[in-house]
Amino acid sequence: MTTIRRFCCNDLLRFASVNLDHLTETVSLLLLLLYFLQFYLINNCVNQWILSSLFEVKQFNMSFYMTYLARWPDYFHVAEAPGNRVMGYIMGKVEGQGESWHGHVTAVTVSPEYRRQQLAKKLMNLLEDISDNIDKAYFVDLFVRASNTPAIKMYEKLGYVIYRRVLRYYSGEEDGLDMRKALSRDVEKKSIIPLKRPITPDELEYD
Amino acid sequence: MASKFGLAGGIPERRVRPIWDAIDSRQFKNALKHSASLLAKHPNSPYALGLKALILERMGKSDEALSICINAKELLYKNDSLLMDDLTLSTLQIVFQRLDHLELATSCYEHACGKHPNNLELMMGLFNCYVREYSFVKQQQTAIRMYKLVGEERFLLWAVCSIQLQVLCANGEDKLLLLAEGLLKKHVAAHSLHEPEALIVYISILEQQAKYGDALEILSGKLGSLLMMEVDRLRIEGRLLARAGDYSAAVVVYQKLLKLCPDDWEGFLHYLSCVLEDDSIWCVVADNNPIQRSKFLDCRVSHLSDEVFDCRTSDASAFVQKLQEDNRDSLIRGPYLAGLEIKRRKHLYGKVNDDEMIEALMQYFSIFGHLACFTSDVEVFLQVLAPNKRTKFNERLVKCYSSLPVDVTKMLGQSITLFKVQDVMGNMYTTLPVSELEDTAVRMVKLFFESLPLFKDLDPQESMQGEELLSLTCNVLVQLFWRTRHLGYLVEAIMVLEFGLTIRRYVWQYKILLVHLYSFLGALSLAYEWYKLLDVKNILMETVSHHMLPQMLKSPLWVELNNLLKDYLRFMDDYFRESADLTFLAYRHRNYSKVIEFVQFKEHLQRSNQYLVARIEAAILQLKQNADNLEEEELVLESLNCGIQFAELSNEIRPKSLTFNEDLQSRPWWTPISGKNYLLGPFEGISYCPKENLTKENEASVRRAIERRALLPRMVHLSIQSASALLKDNMEVNGSVSDPQIYSELKFLLERYAKLLGCSLSDAIEVVMGGLNSQKSSEVFHSDMVDWMNFAVFLNAWKLCSNERKQLDRDGCAPGIWRTVNSLLEKYISEVVKSMEPLIHPSRGDLSFLVQVISEPLAWHILVIQSYVRSSLPSGKKKKKGGSTDHSTSPLAIVTRDTIQLLCAILEEVTRWLGEQIKGPEDENLEIILSSVRKESQVEGPGQVFQILGTLISSTSEMEVGVRICEALKSWNPVDVARKMATGQSLVLSEFLYICESRMKSLQLLKHQIAQV
Repeated sequence: MTTIRRFCCNDLLRFASVNLDHLTETVSLLLLLLYFLQFYLINNCVNQWILSSLFEVKQFNMSFYMTYLARWPDYFHVAEAPGNRVMGYIMGKVEGQGESWHGHVTAVTVSPEYRRQQLAKKLMNLLEDISDNIDKAYFVDLFVRASNTPAIKMYEKLGYVIYRRVLRYYSGEEDGLDMRKALSRDVEKKSIIPLKRPITPDELEYD
Repeated sequence: MASKFGLAGGIPERRVRPIWDAIDSRQFKNALKHSASLLAKHPNSPYALGLKALILERMGKSDEALSICINAKELLYKNDSLLMDDLTLSTLQIVFQRLDHLELATSCYEHACGKHPNNLELMMGLFNCYVREYSFVKQQQTAIRMYKLVGEERFLLWAVCSIQLQVLCANGEDKLLLLAEGLLKKHVAAHSLHEPEALIVYISILEQQAKYGDALEILSGKLGSLLMMEVDRLRIEGRLLARAGDYSAAVVVYQKLLKLCPDDWEGFLHYLSCVLEDDSIWCVVADNNPIQRSKFLDCRVSHLSDEVFDCRTSDASAFVQKLQEDNRDSLIRGPYLAGLEIKRRKHLYGKVNDDEMIEALMQYFSIFGHLACFTSDVEVFLQVLAPNKRTKFNERLVKCYSSLPVDVTKMLGQSITLFKVQDVMGNMYTTLPVSELEDTAVRMVKLFFESLPLFKDLDPQESMQGEELLSLTCNVLVQLFWRTRHLGYLVEAIMVLEFGLTIRRYVWQYKILLVHLYSFLGALSLAYEWYKLLDVKNILMETVSHHMLPQMLKSPLWVELNNLLKDYLRFMDDYFRESADLTFLAYRHRNYSKVIEFVQFKEHLQRSNQYLVARIEAAILQLKQNADNLEEEELVLESLNCGIQFAELSNEIRPKSLTFNEDLQSRPWWTPISGKNYLLGPFEGISYCPKENLTKENEASVRRAIERRALLPRMVHLSIQSASALLKDNMEVNGSVSDPQIYSELKFLLERYAKLLGCSLSDAIEVVMGGLNSQKSSEVFHSDMVDWMNFAVFLNAWKLCSNERKQLDRDGCAPGIWRTVNSLLEKYISEVVKSMEPLIHPSRGDLSFLVQVISEPLAWHILVIQSYVRSSLPSGKKKKKGGSTDHSTSPLAIVTRDTIQLLCAILEEVTRWLGEQIKGPEDENLEIILSSVRKESQVEGPGQVFQILGTLISSTSEMEVGVRICEALKSWNPVDVARKMATGQSLVLSEFLYICESRMKSLQLLKHQIAQV
């Protein structure tokens, strides 16, 4: 039994059992910084030196979750079981310009207690629906560790294809795979034609 | 962006960029050089000054930075022709904010907006300043000005949010909502609304005023189309109808919702509440405390007549039945659990008996019994069954399970479910004979081994389905320990979990259980090691720290405690600092509902009980760490502003409600909340306890403890002052606090402290004075012994500066209270030392008592003496004037000498005992641990599980379980674990020994000093 609804701040106090699990994707410092870089350049223009103060921000911060909540609340959903137990959540965003306007899955995670019930699929479908119907995006994308075969298989089952490989994407060590799924607006499915060569993280348009 | 880079704060961008680049690459000296040349060209540019201040602040030169910023601010005020752009102001703002001078930034913006009333950018900056200051009224006024200026929807909504915040978070009157509604209505009439979030705010404003009809009208009108997701619209519509009392219409809406989302549990509960016309679920929503996780659904027994109730529930059952049929292929749990919930309501109404309930549960088991969440799904339904019926349900499960044809994985799932059901039902374990319980544990371990081949190819990071079995085994073994007091069961529990972590080191559930088991056995450093491996970070520090922090507060592991407190406080304070910026981000992105949520969430966390505890305990820890040296202690106290803020905090807590955000679900059954441990008491026949009930009971005592502890720094300070004031009869007072003030303030605090201990000051004094002989007092002492001893020490210090004392002292009377304090310390410390059991043992709880007494009351007592001795020293600045009494023979001097002698003796006793423990033969200890789990006969007793573990390990082959698991099995070495346990305590003891020794040293020094008096 599952209620899927928008994630709210109070859920941060309930998701310990999900986040203590080893497989929950915690965001690397690099990604976080790249993210802020982009965010401030787009939104704050010249206050570039704010960046340098943000470089001090390490793992002890809440701005990561809350920035997603403040900017893309439609892309942050929680699945709840009876008794307000958090089963899992998905967080993502929508970004890009022109034909690269797309939904992005930043993290999707399900507690072991609630696995094998297709919950991740439901959460993914929700994010895809929002990207497709509300924001009229061209595609949805996500990054996955190249070694995480079970996850890659799962995403393939959900209709994602490997669009390109990002070299040393994870903490400068492991390669990431950029996987994409075209949405209805991309009639010719141009967004998912795989790139021939791998790219480096600094070539990424968005994090 | 490029054009903005052209001119920055009136200065060509090319001149500014090198400074930014240098700051970015943290080359502050270089940045400063560039800044100097920029200032040479533009000496009076506030922007250039702001940049310099920023650099200096980053270099840690806060004072210089502040004065430059203030200079820039004055220039802005003086010279109207200077450029007052947002870039300049936001630069200054950043520096002011980092220097904790938000008000200066705000006044800059206020000034600029006064000069340029039509500059939208500046006004947004000003609005942001007010957001940072949480000045909701000023936010509202600024937003209205912007709205009037450009007529944009977003600024109106900023104003509306600011109004809502006044009502929700700042005691604003409800009639303000009428104003917000009026503003919105007018805007909608002229311009309509364009953002879904705006509509949500509009509806919430109406809902807060109970204008449900109006809200429904808006939702069904043109504006309703702003909500793109049908289910969102239906949820709001259903809620509004229900709150308006139009249940029949709400039922229809919820049915539509459930057809679209048949798995929506919350939607179903709302539906059922409407069917039964029970509004309690809406009261919970209005209560606005959604964090309390209650497994038990609040509902009222229906007020409907029998006939209506029957009719309604059968309609609902039919509807749910239809949902089940329509979704048969997808096998979602929702409609089936819904069926159970209807049965439960009927049960509450007396329309369904236990047997029918069991029948329904059996059906649910036949479909979903293999799922890991089965037990938590049905927990609430098991609660309504009578105890004997729960047993019956269990028997039915066992029977049914063996008759179900299922595949291997499902069968494993079902078997685990059987054990889990027994675990949550509780009564099973407490009624079974010991031998059967042992057998249960053995079967669990066997099943775990049987499950291993299923996961031989699984990625080690993935959780295995059978993992829970070892946690369950641990639960049973701890239950066995509680019943029989055989330490061996606890050792077995530890072995099982350590073994589990050898197989897969990521299982956090095992780690948490180990943290508690090791803590219970006094091997705190081992507990802390596992806790660290949980990798608790970010907001989890708020929800998960309770597994470790409470024990650490009472331990001698001060370095580790300091790390825990520091990390946690840094996380929380960082969040509080940045929270307003995140709120402004929500404003800017027009997610207005998040604005309200963010502000409320910050307030919620600020009231966190754990946050307050951490703040106070971090201060007390500093005092404990420096208590051996009076001068250093005084410096610490000075940095803590002599404890004034904490004493004020203690006063301020009462009217606020504390929040409890600890995630209690992950706690072991035997310690459902911190401060409660069933194993410390006699066997009571509990193996499961609904944790949320205990939290409520606990709240008052946590609050009292916080209030009490918050007084401590101030009382330590005053006690030190008091002792030195003793000899100042004829001296001029040169401190900030004069004798009468010390006397009256300390008295006031003692009264408060006594009250928090549950009695009046005079009663408390009586308790302390009778502390040695009266039986009753001993009992009183038992619960809060350390607090009482602290009280006694402060009481003595207070008496020292009372006129009464001076009089008594002159008359040659022995200071009775002083001697009483000495006796208290002596009695309780040596009693505990004598009763300490050797080796790893649960009675090590007493160790933490010992640690606390020596780190706190005893330390404060020594400080008081140090202060007294220092003030009576004849040399240097402390030279006495005019006092005719010979202090060395005064009763006080005598008692001082006696006290030092006595405290030395006490500490010697403790250090001797500690030394013996630490030096104890390791092999002997190791043997005691190992023999506790060695099974030598067939009679019941610990060892069976340990034995079967060994047998199963040696009989498992690589073929069955794969290389990885097989290697892990081979690497398992129980002797290592036992050795770790045996040596685990000595670390804690060594730290304690170190503390005792340094206290001794300070006493030796005192002895030396006093010889000079």
